[in-house]
Amino acid sequence: MERRRFLRNAGAGIVGVSAFAGCSSPGGDDERPSRTESGTGTTTGAATTTSLGGTLRVATYSSFTGEGTAGNWLKSAFESEYPDATVEFTTPENGLNQYIQRANEGAPIEADLYVGLNTGELVRADEQLDDPLFQSLSEDVAGVDGIKDGLQVDPEGRAIPYDTGYISLVYDENEVEQPETFDALLEPAYEGDLIVQNAQQSDPGRAFLLWTILAKGVDGYLDYWQGLQDNGVRIMSDWNPSYEAYMNDEAPMIVSYSTDQVYYHGEGVDMAKHQVGFLNDQGYANPEAMAMFSSASNGDLGRRFVEFVLSEEAQAQIADLNVQFPAVEGVEMDEEFTRYAYEPPEPVTFTYEELAGNVSTWIEDWARQVASK
Amino acid sequence: MRERAERFAVPLGLVTTVSVLIVVFYYPVGNVFADAVSSDGRPTLAPILDVLTDPFYTGIAHHIFTDPLGVPAGIIQWFLAVELSPSGLDLPPTSIGLFGFTAYQAALSTVASVALGLPGAYLLSRYEFPGRHTIRSLTILPFVLPGIMVAVGFLAMFGRNGLFNDVLAVVGLGPVEALFTLEIVVVAHAFYNAPLVTRLVTTAWESVDRRQVETARSMGATPFRAFRDVVVPQLLPSLLTASLLTFVFTFMTFPIVLALGGLQLATVEVWLYARVQNLELTEAAALGTIETVISLGLTYLYLRYEARQVATGRAGPSLARRQLVDGVRSLRDPRRLAIAAYGVVVLVVFVGPLLSMVVESVTGPGGEFTFEYYRFLLAQQTSSAIGTTRPLPAIVNSLLFGVGTLVLALPMGIVVAVVANRDVTGSRGAEAVLSAPLAVSGIVVGLGLLQTLVFGTVLFDYRITVLGPSAIVFAHAVAAYPFVTRNVAPALGGLDPRLVDAARSLGASRFRSLLDVELPLVASGVVAGAAFAFAISVGEFDSTVLLAEGVDSYTMPVALERYIGNRSLGPSLGAATAMGTVLLGVTAGSFVVIDRVGGRWQP
Repeated sequence: MERRRFLRNAGAGIVGVSAFAGCSSPGGDDERPSRTESGTGTTTGAATTTSLGGTLRVATYSSFTGEGTAGNWLKSAFESEYPDATVEFTTPENGLNQYIQRANEGAPIEADLYVGLNTGELVRADEQLDDPLFQSLSEDVAGVDGIKDGLQVDPEGRAIPYDTGYISLVYDENEVEQPETFDALLEPAYEGDLIVQNAQQSDPGRAFLLWTILAKGVDGYLDYWQGLQDNGVRIMSDWNPSYEAYMNDEAPMIVSYSTDQVYYHGEGVDMAKHQVGFLNDQGYANPEAMAMFSSASNGDLGRRFVEFVLSEEAQAQIADLNVQFPAVEGVEMDEEFTRYAYEPPEPVTFTYEELAGNVSTWIEDWARQVASK
Repeated sequence: MRERAERFAVPLGLVTTVSVLIVVFYYPVGNVFADAVSSDGRPTLAPILDVLTDPFYTGIAHHIFTDPLGVPAGIIQWFLAVELSPSGLDLPPTSIGLFGFTAYQAALSTVASVALGLPGAYLLSRYEFPGRHTIRSLTILPFVLPGIMVAVGFLAMFGRNGLFNDVLAVVGLGPVEALFTLEIVVVAHAFYNAPLVTRLVTTAWESVDRRQVETARSMGATPFRAFRDVVVPQLLPSLLTASLLTFVFTFMTFPIVLALGGLQLATVEVWLYARVQNLELTEAAALGTIETVISLGLTYLYLRYEARQVATGRAGPSLARRQLVDGVRSLRDPRRLAIAAYGVVVLVVFVGPLLSMVVESVTGPGGEFTFEYYRFLLAQQTSSAIGTTRPLPAIVNSLLFGVGTLVLALPMGIVVAVVANRDVTGSRGAEAVLSAPLAVSGIVVGLGLLQTLVFGTVLFDYRITVLGPSAIVFAHAVAAYPFVTRNVAPALGGLDPRLVDAARSLGASRFRSLLDVELPLVASGVVAGAAFAFAISVGEFDSTVLLAEGVDSYTMPVALERYIGNRSLGPSLGAATAMGTVLLGVTAGSFVVIDRVGGRWQP
């Protein structure tokens, strides 16, 4: 109890200052020393100072790291904040499954944090394992309260969202009128016009399927999809090949992200092909979260890292580099992003509790209906 | 001393091969399959029966497993439901299930691959034209291309606004809506596998002894008769091998189906992948086991057939080649006109998608010409940021692994070919079991490697992991050596046994006679096998990413995959197509080198 309060205070100190640093961004270098000082100033204990060094092993997906990525920025910003700390990325090809399976087989986890977790994966981890893979963070990490309400997906505070995308339609206004509702997609006018992705393997595909379940109910979504199938919906493997097909004019509508225009604007770009359409005035939020493994060996540094990611400066940078929306309320984004990235009037998403025990069945029933021969 | 070493060379090679197989193949794969046939240490068939009795998987055939006695009545009922209507026969709706559909599309793909590949073998082995050697070397190029690049190429070639429709429009035809059809999936499968047919049959055709045909002709056989009775029997094993491999591969096809056809055309492998993603490993294991039983069963049946073939081959000069272009007369010769028509098909199906991919790598989002994607590759190369995937190490790693695989897979494949050709009961069964790497789904192999070598196995309180570059090379070699065997075994089997007997009676060890007598006579098969081994290694993805220790053992396909996820140039596959072009260039060069170097040993 004592320790918790202590940590929370320490965290509050850091976030308070980093928000300030975020505002006076260009001269950030001057603020850095004072920022660390105030951080250690509140946390007087010698134990904490020593624990704020060492190596933090962050497991993530491969495009989070490398030249010009959010991971790269985070690493250098965090390391200059904590000069004794080193952030090491590891990028297992099969993502979180690598760690669920390791835990299942009793193999060492070899990472402290996981970055890039979605709600469905957390559900899977819990269904597969008897002992929790992740530990609760929300009590010990400052800044969690600032996360947007609709994105608080995990009631146990293990998965901490750091950014989110909104699934929407992207359509070519030269070819089709914007469909306003899910029902509109069943009209003959849209026959053969929609490309979606396979919910078994693609993030946006899965989000779109879940969105139809929210809209049509567990009892109604399969009938709705039968209607979509009868109207010639195309279900491709992954986002990349499907977007390639969309850009090659195979169909005038695709399930994609509401940030599409951030990539496509400016001179000589045909914006007609990059119109963002929300159905039923909704967009399905697909928050990306981070979580700390129960077996983390450098927990204190991990918590500081999570706090750092939630700081205003980092939130703006990550959102910018990932082309996603910040997870924290009230983060100032640059003008270009604000202008071209659309937030749905009503963001919707399933929480952990709603998905638990259901999501595999929902997807399997859907896939069987589509692929039945 | 040397003699003794030589005497043990073949058995020792076999022991080494089997040991490698056990560590990087049988043990990992067995670890996965165990889930399908045992539960808490007790044997069970429940997971497999669950699949077989599920109409979704097996369609009407599920009755065989749920109600075997009712099957005859069911069949009668089905026939009674057939009605004659004015439009023809009205068949009652029949569900073939996921397995039925998977086999159906694999059969279609096999037919298409043979139809597209066989004329190529005829052209390459019977005609002389400038660039023949190079084209022969390049035939297996499609083999190394990642599925997503084939999808990009096919989209640009056969899409609604693709080059194919543009050309059709010029002649006043079209447009053809090819995407999302079974046809485009079958053509894409032929794109991958027809080169296999071409390469295997060309090798066999080139080793047909000219003197046998001449003897037949001098004894009064017509050219057709000589072809039917002398040449065809020598081609058949290679053609059937290629068909078998194509069927097995397309039976376990995965990325290309959903990238071009959509989920409506899903195959068993799509479900297997989804099960693994969802960590429903028992059902995944059951699906994988059934796939493997089917593939291995076919392989065994085929090998039995091959063994019954009478050895007719003899080493001698190959058939004389005709000049492809024969002045103006070429325009009247039906055979040469047919070859010209075939050339057009090759341009559309093979060159078109490859070229389209290359064109995509220099085309910006607005259709303008750009070097942006290659600048991106250069920028990655010069970046110092940790976690950056650089093109040059990817190329170097690919080449190193490729050469390593070749060096390892050649002896492994040859040893197995020697064993397979011994006239001992069970030698064909042994080859079938040793060919298992062909018959196991790549997803299962990946899962097995992860659970055993990557996570480690506890032995005497130590957790032993097998990772790093050498593990990658071993895994590649295991995937590659069956191709060497399949190229070499039929040719070895076709050799006159008296050649070996003569060498042995003169005091040569088994190994000596193999090295000095047999292998030089089947050199073209060995070289073809080497090219396949290299191609398998360069194109391999799954085990490469799993067994890489740290982040630096990436190869060209791995780099390509990572560039797909890279959003710094926007949501575009441009950077990946640029890497794909590099991959094509590097492997094309390598194949030419392998064939040139290998050609020196050919008589």
